[in-house]
Amino acid sequence: MAALDELREAVIDGQLAVAVEQTKRGLEEGIPAQTLFDDGLMAAMRRVGELFEEGEVFVPEMLVASRAMTAALEVLKPELVAEGASTSGRVAIGTVMGDLHDIGKNLVAMMLRGNGFEIDDLGTDVYPERFVQAIRDGAEVVAMSALLTTTMTNMRAVVEAIGEAGLREGVAVVIGGAPITQTFAEEVGADGYARDASSAVRMVEQVLGRVRATNGP
Amino acid sequence: MGPEPPQVSIDIEPVGRRVQVAVGTTILAAAQSVGVGVAAACGGAGTCGCCRVRIAGGELTAASEEERRLLGEPALAAGLRLACQAGVRTDVRIVIGPESLTATQRLQLEGLGADVSLDPPVVGFEVVLERPALEDLRADATRLLDALAATRPPVEATGRPPIGLAVLTELPAALRAQDWSGRVALHRPRGEVVAIRPPAARLLGLAVDLGTTKLAAYLVDLDTGSTVGRAGAVNPQIGRGEDVMSRIAYANTGPAARAELRAAVVEAVGRLAAELCAAGERDTDAIVDCVVVGNTAMHHLFAGLPVRQLGQAPYVAAVSDPLDLAAGDLGLSLAGGARVYLPPLIAGFVGADHVAMLLATEAAEASSTVLALDIGTNTEISLAHGGRLWSCSTASGPAFEGAHITDGMRAAPGAIERVHYGDGRFSVQTVDERPAVGVCGSGILDAVAEGLRVGIVDARGGLARSHPLVATDNGRPRCVLVGAADTGHHRDIVFTRSDVGEIQLAKGAIRAGTELLLSAAGIESVEVDEIVVAGAFGTYLDLRSAVRVGLLPDLPLERFRQVGNAAGAGARQLLLSRDRRLLAVELAGRAEYLELTTHPEFAEHFVMAMGF
Repeated sequence: MAALDELREAVIDGQLAVAVEQTKRGLEEGIPAQTLFDDGLMAAMRRVGELFEEGEVFVPEMLVASRAMTAALEVLKPELVAEGASTSGRVAIGTVMGDLHDIGKNLVAMMLRGNGFEIDDLGTDVYPERFVQAIRDGAEVVAMSALLTTTMTNMRAVVEAIGEAGLREGVAVVIGGAPITQTFAEEVGADGYARDASSAVRMVEQVLGRVRATNGP
Repeated sequence: MGPEPPQVSIDIEPVGRRVQVAVGTTILAAAQSVGVGVAAACGGAGTCGCCRVRIAGGELTAASEEERRLLGEPALAAGLRLACQAGVRTDVRIVIGPESLTATQRLQLEGLGADVSLDPPVVGFEVVLERPALEDLRADATRLLDALAATRPPVEATGRPPIGLAVLTELPAALRAQDWSGRVALHRPRGEVVAIRPPAARLLGLAVDLGTTKLAAYLVDLDTGSTVGRAGAVNPQIGRGEDVMSRIAYANTGPAARAELRAAVVEAVGRLAAELCAAGERDTDAIVDCVVVGNTAMHHLFAGLPVRQLGQAPYVAAVSDPLDLAAGDLGLSLAGGARVYLPPLIAGFVGADHVAMLLATEAAEASSTVLALDIGTNTEISLAHGGRLWSCSTASGPAFEGAHITDGMRAAPGAIERVHYGDGRFSVQTVDERPAVGVCGSGILDAVAEGLRVGIVDARGGLARSHPLVATDNGRPRCVLVGAADTGHHRDIVFTRSDVGEIQLAKGAIRAGTELLLSAAGIESVEVDEIVVAGAFGTYLDLRSAVRVGLLPDLPLERFRQVGNAAGAGARQLLLSRDRRLLAVELAGRAEYLELTTHPEFAEHFVMAMGF
């Protein structure tokens, strides 16, 4: 299907207008929205992730691709709701309290979305209680981001709040952001850390697998 | 409690220091304990990879996960380690590479000359006092004020100016030693006597630019307005984190940490003052006024104000009005009653240094449209147009300071600062013309711009694998700037796709801020009459490269002005003119601050501005 190939290419190249146009064309040609999403947008973002790991593309191109995908997804959204979609898991993602930076967080959200996760985007400056609420609303994964050395310490408060709410066992807590390290992740009691949006997907899949295995069927 | 861990010694080269520490101490902590500056942009978290050292003997703890990631196995095998991660196990000898040693970097001290009409807040009045006698028992202070009231032209002050305890303490001895005459330094805005100097003594002022990385101090003759000395030093807080946020995070660890940062910078300013005075055979008592400018975090740490709220959204300052503090209270040893003036600031990330820069460049006073940028880890940008003034701050990251770049370093000797491509190869110019050991901000900017010009770098930031200078390392392309045979450390100096990406992110952030200011003013970039570029990197960068990569708008080069340390020049103006102090308050008051992190159009502009 030419529309799908061209859609994937447009997303990978970050050509927003072309991506939107190809999505519309695909719908007009009768391609199911779920197929355009799975084999078009998701496949494109997975490919961007691979190219990133191969050192062929870098963060700026990922951002441009993610912008094209978001625009195309807007076109698909009404159709997708109508059809109903399956998901790899539900992730509540947000930038921690005190921090307003969301570019990295959005990129991770996009890569997760591209790999079939359902995303509950809590935005920026997210207080611990809000993350806890998101778990009650059905999130299996809590993903936190911080860009600042001064706000990364607020991640600990979120892990503690989840523990106090008695929800820690059933949920995977993962963190990331420029100043974060694996050591820091262990210190605050997170289950996983990834240094970039692409490896975040694999990490979330692994951590979620572990949590699900522990929880049993 | 177990027994005390055994002590071992560390020899630190090339500075030749030896330090005794407990087994397990990190090299960074050991170096800092003896005042050896090691670059640690992340504050020792193991994320920036700046603090590379080479082990030349002895044993260190096993490499951490961060070291494996940032250095890689070949570098580890060659003895490279991160000072913040590696702990000592035996007596060791380590060598700090020039790129990691903070003390040798070039300091930028030139700047604009202060060109203002001379009307300093602190002025001198020559007085001759009547000697006390049995029939004239007036107190020394009364006698001095009576003499001051009789001066011609008369002292402009309402009532009799107060004399503080610090001046009173020195007064009896000074009057007698000076045979009942002298020069009274009067702080006119306060109407207060700040010093009694010998007759005809020159009154001096101290202007200080507190940079996150560097301190620049100027000694100014308040009678003539001329700058009689200048000196620079590394900000001693640097060992506690190289950027503002790491510094705030350190201060947040407890009151002792904040006090340590304050004491370190006050002591450094005091040392610069002493150094400047000694060079001119003057005494620090001759310094009767002081102006200190800095970004909001430096300003707060210097004044002893809390900084925690600066590190958390919405990043607000404790105070934005100008501060007028007693030098003695701050711990600065100047003339007894000298005051320290800290100009007003605009926002948490648009500080008093930016206000000083606007003053010095007169960017906000002309009727023309002026864009003024101070490029650093945070870039402050202001746009003056049609009588209004907009300001913003954008997180441009440390790439232009050489951090997060494969072979990046500060502008220290051996740093590549200019790059040109011709005849199939790169030619480079280094700081002090020393053999190249790395590349600093202006060099990496040139490399990317030249790469774009000749097709090594494509419009998306990718490297052309087909180019002879582009080799592949582990499947990842890298472009050789200087081959191992010609470098100071006999390794290739390269730039990679990831380095180009860092430049894209940095210039994207700056350009997005610029575009949003233009859009707030409702104008296009072609309507900008003048673009003022300040700061160390801003002064050394090649404008053509900056325009080529899109860091700055594509306008005729004659519209650009690179101004050096404009904040320092602004601080000097504030020593010399009461009007400039009023104008500083006026500018800061009318600046319209634009918060970019929550601006709905920022992400779109940022992404669009990242391509070439």
